[in-house]
Amino acid sequence: MKIENNERFRRYTSPAVFEKIREYPSVSAMWENCLSEYPDVPAIADDGKTYTFAETESHTAAFRSVLSAKGVSGRVGIIMQNSFDFAKVFLAVVTSGSTAVILPPQLDAKTVFGCTMKFGLSALVYQPGMEEKTSVIASQDPSFTLVSADETGADRLPLTETDAKTPCVIMFTGGTTGKSKGALLSNGAVMQGVVNGCYGYSDVFGQRYLLVLPLSHVFGLVRNLLSSLYTGSTLFICRDAKDMFRDIAVFRPTILVLVPALAEMALSLSRKFGKNMLGGDMKYIICGAAAVSPYLVAEYDKLGIVLFPGYGLTESANLVSGNPEPVRKPESVGLPYPHQELKIADGELWFRGSNMMESYIGEENSGIDEEGWFHTGDLARIDDEGFLYITGRIKELIVLANGENVSPAEVEAHFNEISLVQDSQVFEDINENGTHILALEVVPRASEMAALGAEDPNAVLMSELRRVNQSLPSFQRVNRIEIRDKDFERTPSMKIVRYHRCS
Amino acid sequence: MQLTRDEIMERLKDIMISAGGGNEQIYRECTEDSDLSADLGLSSIGMLYIVIAVEETFRIRFTGVGMSDFRTVKDVIDYIEEHQE
Repeated sequence: MKIENNERFRRYTSPAVFEKIREYPSVSAMWENCLSEYPDVPAIADDGKTYTFAETESHTAAFRSVLSAKGVSGRVGIIMQNSFDFAKVFLAVVTSGSTAVILPPQLDAKTVFGCTMKFGLSALVYQPGMEEKTSVIASQDPSFTLVSADETGADRLPLTETDAKTPCVIMFTGGTTGKSKGALLSNGAVMQGVVNGCYGYSDVFGQRYLLVLPLSHVFGLVRNLLSSLYTGSTLFICRDAKDMFRDIAVFRPTILVLVPALAEMALSLSRKFGKNMLGGDMKYIICGAAAVSPYLVAEYDKLGIVLFPGYGLTESANLVSGNPEPVRKPESVGLPYPHQELKIADGELWFRGSNMMESYIGEENSGIDEEGWFHTGDLARIDDEGFLYITGRIKELIVLANGENVSPAEVEAHFNEISLVQDSQVFEDINENGTHILALEVVPRASEMAALGAEDPNAVLMSELRRVNQSLPSFQRVNRIEIRDKDFERTPSMKIVRYHRCS
Repeated sequence: MQLTRDEIMERLKDIMISAGGGNEQIYRECTEDSDLSADLGLSSIGMLYIVIAVEETFRIRFTGVGMSDFRTVKDVIDYIEEHQE
């Protein structure tokens, strides 16, 4: 299936707004447009200060001149926490025609040094206070160029025009299915990712975004920072997730970009304290990076907030599909965005298009096949209206003794429809007789369990789980059900760590 | 109004029940020595929930400390007791 243009999204947005969703070949071209259209609009608020687009450019131009004076070009590493300076440094690097290599701030000094070699960095920009991260570089390669993010100069160097093919950024993949890799995204791919974030809803431009996700994650960098700049919106940087709701009360954001675990937390806190913790101005939550429960869509709807489940990858520079407003199919990840082609090969979802990465860097496998397809590793289907559904991961497929394939995520989705279930995991186990069985563990949703008012809420939940189990095709039915006392173990990006009892 | 240690513990249990995503029993029965991660199974998101809910409930601020500084229930109660108005 090839999505040639953006026509399918026209009806979700007013004509005037839709015409404003223009495509730019590069971050430089987009940024020039921002500066001519919104010079005096507040672009970024951070640490008690607010910077208009023109002021942001003034700081950016000063940092471009710092880089130029040091002879920095090519690939430039950035190791920083979320801050105005991060945005400034990123813009300065990519609008100089260089490539930003975003290193997650939790990397240790030895790994940071390894990255300078693996990615052939010409320099590394670090945040003041994070000097320790550069200590191995300083001892192993004293001539390597290290630049503090607060360096500045009197000169203001204009930006460099770049085109869609110019490499823009190398970002680390999540690494949930193996080791983390660096994916190279061109300016064209990044800008396609940015524009994709504008489709399917009415209030696109002039919004107030709150940044909670790390800028070292594609969802934070592209869907949060760059989409906010592109749309002439204001980005408020929340430096510590624990202050998120205090920041929301002050800044009154209209759009939030969240992973499902944070959306669930915000909902649960709102219940506990009997108020909408996300504030009265919040209209939209863009939700992705892990499976989104339809329960979240329904519950946020009651608060007057539209939560959009979407699907995206680091390799695709942001979301590749998203639900349009109103969300009619919350179990779907929405309609695929323009200028990409997708196909389902033996159940696996493949993509190619202008938003996809060039290749992995420093890996034996480029990640792109001879015909330009990226194989996602995700199992998917498309319905007759063109909505995409993710039904699991190939690596997680369980092959039963009778030859049937079971996708745990597909089975879990049925149990997750029970409002008493917060999370579930279906896995293969071996019982006391040595027989391979399908097992289910669930984490109850505390607020719903308490609201039952039942003497034995677990018994109520167990009977619901059994009822759902009986409704499944026989090969998908689980043989053992357990209600957990505790949450599942989770990865740093809050995804569930899967059991591997039989492999 | 200063809350007693027992009162703080009761309110903290209520918060942990909402945060934990597990069943109530293990939080109702926990003691000051219970380890937040090993015994109570609180994930990073559960810890974040507790920090936010404790600040809201007890009207205090966690400043200059991270959740990794708290290992047991006792550590959290000590901090609340020390910082409550």
